[in-house]
Amino acid sequence: MTSVLPLIKNETIKIIKKKRFYVILLILLVLVPIFTYAQMRSAERTREKFNGDWRLEIQQQITDNENSLGSDRVPDEWKKFRKIFVQQLQYYLDHDVNPNEPNGVTFTREFMSNSITLFIPLLIMAIASDIVSGERTTGTIKMLLTRPVKRWKVLLSKLVTLFMFTSLIVVAAFVITYVVSGAVFGYKGFNLPVFTGFQITGSDVDLAAVHGVPQWKYLLMQGGLIWFVSLTVASLAFMVSVLVRSTAASIVVMMAALIAGSILTNMASAWTSAKYLFMVNLELTDYLSGTPAPIEGMNLSFSLAVLSIWAIAAMIISFLVFTKRDILN
Amino acid sequence: MNSTKWIWRIVSIISVLATLLLLAGFVYAIKDIQNPQAGNELAAPSAKPQENTEDKSPDAKKEIKIAAIGDSLAKGTGDNSGMGFARRTVKELSTDTGKKVTLLNNLGINGLTTTGLLPKLEERGTQYVLGQADIILVSIGGNDLFQGADLASKGISGTSSTATGQEMDPKDLLKGLPKASTQLKAILERIHAINPDAWIVYVGLYNPFGDIEDLKIPGNHAVASWNQAALDSINKYSNMTLVPTFDLFQHNLDKYLSSDHFHPNGDGYQQIAERIVQGIR
Repeated sequence: MTSVLPLIKNETIKIIKKKRFYVILLILLVLVPIFTYAQMRSAERTREKFNGDWRLEIQQQITDNENSLGSDRVPDEWKKFRKIFVQQLQYYLDHDVNPNEPNGVTFTREFMSNSITLFIPLLIMAIASDIVSGERTTGTIKMLLTRPVKRWKVLLSKLVTLFMFTSLIVVAAFVITYVVSGAVFGYKGFNLPVFTGFQITGSDVDLAAVHGVPQWKYLLMQGGLIWFVSLTVASLAFMVSVLVRSTAASIVVMMAALIAGSILTNMASAWTSAKYLFMVNLELTDYLSGTPAPIEGMNLSFSLAVLSIWAIAAMIISFLVFTKRDILN
Repeated sequence: MNSTKWIWRIVSIISVLATLLLLAGFVYAIKDIQNPQAGNELAAPSAKPQENTEDKSPDAKKEIKIAAIGDSLAKGTGDNSGMGFARRTVKELSTDTGKKVTLLNNLGINGLTTTGLLPKLEERGTQYVLGQADIILVSIGGNDLFQGADLASKGISGTSSTATGQEMDPKDLLKGLPKASTQLKAILERIHAINPDAWIVYVGLYNPFGDIEDLKIPGNHAVASWNQAALDSINKYSNMTLVPTFDLFQHNLDKYLSSDHFHPNGDGYQQIAERIVQGIR
């Protein structure tokens, strides 16, 4: 291991000096204010409609959803989702807790759970897709490999660095979202309760295990799940980066996979074996909030297993290919 | 050279800390999802619904709050503008009184029967809305009476009216009446118990099948007995009104019914809304 640490140091400095990480921070700093502004406008509008009384708003939401349950034009899967949604809203109402209390912490929670499938993976890919193929595009890979270090050590150092930055990106996303949205919605709200533990069986929600969690704890758990997903995405992007020569191609491959995943998730249920694809399993935070999984038979352990298998397979392939392959260009 | 040293130190320390934090969160999340512990570990700090301490008499109020509850009629099904009698009443009442009139919530649900409405009244959200209202508009019973009609309006709307006629047996119309009217009584009493100060307006039934030979007379008869039964309960309270709609629709079905031949159209709702305003003015 003695010779890996300097390599990791080297890689870290390369990422910082190449300003990859700053680009990610910049993207966050530009996009988060836009979402915050949009959220502020829509919150203002509903406040006008319901005189700022969230109970009326939730009750109307429940009624509207119940109305759509009667319609024959609504697909059965949607009805199931809405039935579950109604029961959860009802639970919040019964316990007199506003699920959308406007503050920076709630916004962060909502934003992060929405960005777990595309936005965060995209940020990860900004580093991961470039980390190996970038060296090949510029030709610097030859310099790296001519040094008296084993190839697998070179690759390992890159992987470790990538994981380090994955953690950094996830935390940075949380911090920036909180700081920016807090400026608009206020920085309070860490101790507000969020309900978790909805057990879903069919279209019924078992409320026996539901318990309130303060929002800071919820954010922590959410962060952990997002982190795991990010590591998986990072490993896969890393593999693609090893396999494909150009950075652009490697980003396109990963993006295509992720977008395919979000489309598959929406079409849901008809094709059950889609649940073995990694991109359908990305929304781990849904298990926390109690949103039903897109395909029957998915649960947290299943998704974790699928993601781990994909990630481990990706790492194995990366190392096998990288240590064996001739570098020609 | 020095700067790279610092970059390395800072980045490595922060990333290790971040990793540990996220790992802790991950472990905690798995534990929480796999073995959720019930039992509320915290009391909801959210503010209690503020009690209305202001004067309740409708004349003294600056703002009139209206809530609507019940079936598709309350919801406004059939009205192309989506307003239904609830929003139309709000509009009429505000021009009539010059006060600010707001619709708190429209809790109308398509196809709701008296059996479906009763448990809804026990829900906290419903009680909250009704508790805030000064005027509660109730429309219920149409689906109890015309059981098959809801099916007709959803499934085979637009087909000839004889098809609707064949589905319904005129004799069946009166069968559910006793049970439904007891439930209606219970509903009105419950709403009154939830908000004793509110003015409760019950929208009477009309006969949507008045132009079908087989259903005209039994339909009229059933609707009349229903309205009579409703009136018997309503008359006991000083702040309840039944707004009749039977006469409005009796000979104007072409004019006031929407294309599904069951729900009123925009004009029909407008007529009901005007009646409501006349009743509570």
